[in-house]
Amino acid sequence: MKDRRPHWSERLKVTLWTLIVPPTIWAGHFLFSYLWAAVSCAKAGAFATFPTLFVVGTVLALILIALSGWIAWNQGRIPGASPPHEDATDIDRQRFLAKSTLLLACLSFVGVLFTSLPVIFLRDCL
Amino acid sequence: MSLHDQDDPALRAAQEDRLRAVWKPPSGLFLRWTDCNNNRVGVWYVLTAFAFMLFAGVLALIMRTQLAVPDNDLVSAGTFNQLFTLHGSMMMFLFAVPMFEAVSIILLPQLLGARDLPFPRLSAFGYWSFLLGGVFVGGSIFFNAAPDGGWFMYPPLTTRTDLSGLGADIWMLGLSFIEVSSVAAAVELIVGVLKCRPPGMRLNLMPLYAWYILVVAVMILFAFPPLIAGDILFEMERLLNWPFFDASRGGDPLLWQHLFWIFGHPEVYIVFLPSIALFAMLVPTFSNRHLLGYPWIVLAAVGTAFLSFGLWVHHMFTTGLPKISLAFFSAASEAVAIPTAVQIFAFIATLWAGRVTWSTPLLYATGSLAIFVIGGLTGVMVAVAPFDWQAHDTYFIVAHLHYVLIGGTLLPLFAGLYYYWPLITGKRLSDRLGRIAFWMLFVGANLTFFPMHFSGLMGMPRRVFTYPAELGLGGLNMASTLGAWLFAAGVAVICVDLCLSPRRAKAQRNPWGAGTLEWLAHPDDEDWGIRSIPLIESRYPIWDQKDFVQKVDEGRFFLPDAEEGRRETIVTTVLDARPLAVIRLGTPSVIPILTALSLGGVFILTTYHLYWAALVCAVATLACAIWWLWTGTAEIPEKPCKPIGHGIELPLYISGPAAPGWWAMFITMMADATAFSGLVFGYYFFWTRHADFPPMAMADGPGMYWPMVALVLGVASWLATIAAREVHARGDVGIARLLLMLGIATSLAGIAAGLAGPWTHGMDPENHSYPAIVWTLTVWTVAHAGIAAIMQSYALARSIARRMDPQHDADIRNVTVYMHFFALTAIVAYATIGLFPNLS
Amino acid sequence: MARACTLIIALLCLSGCNAQQSTLSVFGADARDIRHIAIVLTVGAVVILAITTMLYIRAVRAPEHSLDHHQGMRMILWVGAIGPTLILTALLLYALPAMRPRPASAADLVIRVEGEQFWWRVAYRPPSEATPLLSANEIRLPVGRTVLFELGATDVIHSFWIPGLAGKMDMIPGRTNRLVVKAEKPGRYRGVCAEFCGLSHALMAFDVIAMEPAAFDTWMADARAIGPIPAVATPGRALFDAQGCGACHGVRGTPHAGTIGPDLSRFGERRTLGAGILPPTIDNIATFIRAPQASKPGVRMPAYPQLSQEEARAIAHYLKGMR
Repeated sequence: MKDRRPHWSERLKVTLWTLIVPPTIWAGHFLFSYLWAAVSCAKAGAFATFPTLFVVGTVLALILIALSGWIAWNQGRIPGASPPHEDATDIDRQRFLAKSTLLLACLSFVGVLFTSLPVIFLRDCL
Repeated sequence: MSLHDQDDPALRAAQEDRLRAVWKPPSGLFLRWTDCNNNRVGVWYVLTAFAFMLFAGVLALIMRTQLAVPDNDLVSAGTFNQLFTLHGSMMMFLFAVPMFEAVSIILLPQLLGARDLPFPRLSAFGYWSFLLGGVFVGGSIFFNAAPDGGWFMYPPLTTRTDLSGLGADIWMLGLSFIEVSSVAAAVELIVGVLKCRPPGMRLNLMPLYAWYILVVAVMILFAFPPLIAGDILFEMERLLNWPFFDASRGGDPLLWQHLFWIFGHPEVYIVFLPSIALFAMLVPTFSNRHLLGYPWIVLAAVGTAFLSFGLWVHHMFTTGLPKISLAFFSAASEAVAIPTAVQIFAFIATLWAGRVTWSTPLLYATGSLAIFVIGGLTGVMVAVAPFDWQAHDTYFIVAHLHYVLIGGTLLPLFAGLYYYWPLITGKRLSDRLGRIAFWMLFVGANLTFFPMHFSGLMGMPRRVFTYPAELGLGGLNMASTLGAWLFAAGVAVICVDLCLSPRRAKAQRNPWGAGTLEWLAHPDDEDWGIRSIPLIESRYPIWDQKDFVQKVDEGRFFLPDAEEGRRETIVTTVLDARPLAVIRLGTPSVIPILTALSLGGVFILTTYHLYWAALVCAVATLACAIWWLWTGTAEIPEKPCKPIGHGIELPLYISGPAAPGWWAMFITMMADATAFSGLVFGYYFFWTRHADFPPMAMADGPGMYWPMVALVLGVASWLATIAAREVHARGDVGIARLLLMLGIATSLAGIAAGLAGPWTHGMDPENHSYPAIVWTLTVWTVAHAGIAAIMQSYALARSIARRMDPQHDADIRNVTVYMHFFALTAIVAYATIGLFPNLS
Repeated sequence: MARACTLIIALLCLSGCNAQQSTLSVFGADARDIRHIAIVLTVGAVVILAITTMLYIRAVRAPEHSLDHHQGMRMILWVGAIGPTLILTALLLYALPAMRPRPASAADLVIRVEGEQFWWRVAYRPPSEATPLLSANEIRLPVGRTVLFELGATDVIHSFWIPGLAGKMDMIPGRTNRLVVKAEKPGRYRGVCAEFCGLSHALMAFDVIAMEPAAFDTWMADARAIGPIPAVATPGRALFDAQGCGACHGVRGTPHAGTIGPDLSRFGERRTLGAGILPPTIDNIATFIRAPQASKPGVRMPAYPQLSQEEARAIAHYLKGMR
């Protein structure tokens, strides 16, 4: 196999902290959605006809989650034996963290989509 | 020492004698209770939580008997209200959460091949606090003084002193005390999982139970503090008449509901995930194969933990919040079903792929899964807001939550009881009695709670002490009552089985043929926990690693000896469990009991408005804490390093982020910061509730000057401490001491400046929610400045007493962690009260 | 399982039908929609439960290696993750539109209801009238018209729930919640307090009477038209005046305008006594007046033990006569 410089997304180190990045983004987006609705309803009495701020926040959250999922996917793509990967090696630990992060990114992505659905159906503060 | 040294039986016997002497439990009528070894404290903890469960169960039986027929008068309305309040509160706070902590205190060191958890005395403190608080809260019913506002204690019913008595204070203060002990246990468990794993147990080889415990303990850190913040506001209103929940003075009852349910919903998962963790241990054993989808289970645990914090408003669907807000929470409540489904199907796939050995624990697991799935499905139903508008606060919810809790907590615990009893006592429980009890419990639970779905939909609200005959609910309720008695009889059969256990013969070692580390435990268990700390190379080392049990028993792994006569365990790195250091563990001591007693005194005496006595107890608590830290932590070892076998030499002292103590401080402060954010939430919540906030009459608030002065002083104190740490590490001890003195001075000045703001502006906290919340934020921050001064003084004293030097600087590093959080608190609090009024 | 089902059905039949206070026997548009949702959800839940149970039984019975690693992982992915995600997405798309509140207009009848420990203060505000019509513990609704409830409370949190009409809505001190409903079927129903509110939470109900629009309008006009009631000196009325009942209870057409307790105008047409708990017989009323705590623990009304049963009966006769 030809030596090549690892892609930057592979060089990043997965740790226990990167594992919780996607759900933390979900949590941030959820809090943002709740506060956005609560503050606009309490202070303005209604939210704008086209919820620009909300759409921007949601798209941003989705991009960030997709990005962290993509990085995790890149990091988990290590050539080697077929699964199950449960050996006492650095590579399998890396594969495990990468896969868990990827799965969490998928769940968080769905979570953000779920959170944004209400805005399509409900447009007032009643 | 090489591997072959251990071939010598005489050497091994000598090592065992030394270990035995070091881990010998204290004896004597009183001293035996000063023990802090996890196997003993854990068993006390489990037995106490079990006793509280039985007590709360009896309360439920009385309630069910009262409701057996319409218009019954077995108990009065007042008694009934105490019964259901205490039943719910005890099951949640005195059974479900402590039971998880208790089981983990027993199991976790075994699962991690550690001699004990990193802070054994903290476990003992947690236990004694729990016992004291639990007896205080539970015993109140015998004096007709039990809380009677429902387990979620909605104000204003519970804050108006003309409508509620001592019971509300007992609930708030007694349970706050227990919450403190829960947070203590969470700190212990997190540090245990992250830092005390055996060498080689990388994150991907960790037993799933440990993953769940890590996740649940982190959830406790973020879930309990908002309730503690709520408790503070609640007692401020009850004891000092500060109107946080009194609408006539600018308060809002809904603030309590937010804070309570930010705790209350994660709480459900806090008590459910550990039970799923027990499944994750016993399903592989009885499928005779590795669990399928390990990363999926981790996904599920972490995902559930996060999502569970986005569900709280689904308990408030009928409070009239804007529908859009409800809809966000409805969506998140649906999403949380995904990770739950993943977990269940990972178990099903494992059973499918493996060879199933049928057994009593698996029978319990199967039954609980069936019940839990029903509870989960009704959970998805009530997450649909329109359906919840009908189902909310009816017996449908009672049915739903009991299906979840019986299927997701109680029966899994019984599965765990039958599974782990041989590990704890060396005896097996009776399969025959176990099966009889199971069917009684299973049929009883369904007969009790299934009809409640219908009685709820047929219009029966929850928390009613009686119901009229005309509603036609008599038959359903009679069925529920009969089911409850059957269920209780099932629990009684289990109790009989437990009582018969001491008379049975010892079981063999690892009777189920499991593959995980905890089954190294020997029926004739020694107090040292594990003979030698193994090198882990598999998720199921007993199955996969050659001669594993024999090597552990012959001390061929690490740390097989206790040459210096100290209790020790190995600290490793978070990701790959590389050995970092050997730490000395706390030994039996009276300090944890005294600390628990004096802290309990603070809470209990405050309940009876004995403020001076409570203050004395507070001072005693502080004294105990300092005594504890001074004598029991960051001890400078007699030599820098020691060999642990296989040619590895490890340091005996570590500080900074590698050390368990640093993590404990960091984790505790995360909880503290979360409680603080609960109070800040209160401030901004009131802002959204009022068109003018601060109100016109007090638009000036605490002014800008004094809050800004206090902010600068807080930041200065923080910088001084950081500078002291850096200078100290370079060896300039004298300058470091001077900087610490500067830090103490600025912290103390910060107290005065903080109080000066609201004081000089004559803000009367009884007047309106605005001055009340400003005062609360101020008092919180000022109290933290006081603690900062104490901590800085402590570091200074350690330095002067030569218990801290540039090579052994854990104290100042831990104090600096506190100061980071203190600075954050001061900046947020003073910016909020000082600057925000000018913005809005 | 089958035995359990039979038992449950038998019990349901035994317990008889309750058409007054049930989410299953509906008389309002919202309750009808929610009942429909409930049926859909229940069917879905039963199907999922059945599938899961079947899979579990197969899993336990399957011989070893009947599923290899890849198949197992595929099962977790599809049955555990993707399947539930799709089902829940569909559920959200189905349920979210149902959250839209029923629209109300300025022309709708407004009924303000306030929860008190342990009764209901009711005020009808038709769009055309300036002064509200006061009542208590009974709500009359015109069938086929949209009605807006304004819900509040002064002492503690209560929850306003008419199971056959619509979902419940909390009554929270310091807040006013709205609930827009439309009754569809005339009849007599019952509502209750659904949020725990103290000692007699279980004894806090009210009567709901859905009327044809014309009958409702007549009733409303009659109720508003009560003129001064001549001070005929019946013993009951004299006792009512002498005992100071009017300090708390208002009676239209008399000098009594108390607002602390339930309004007693047209008490004679009420179907129940004590907020939905007792039949309003003369004896029940008399007993209630002399010792309200006995039938309703924690009630705010003081006891009148100084009255003889005969005197209390006289007051009861006076009250029953007001219609």
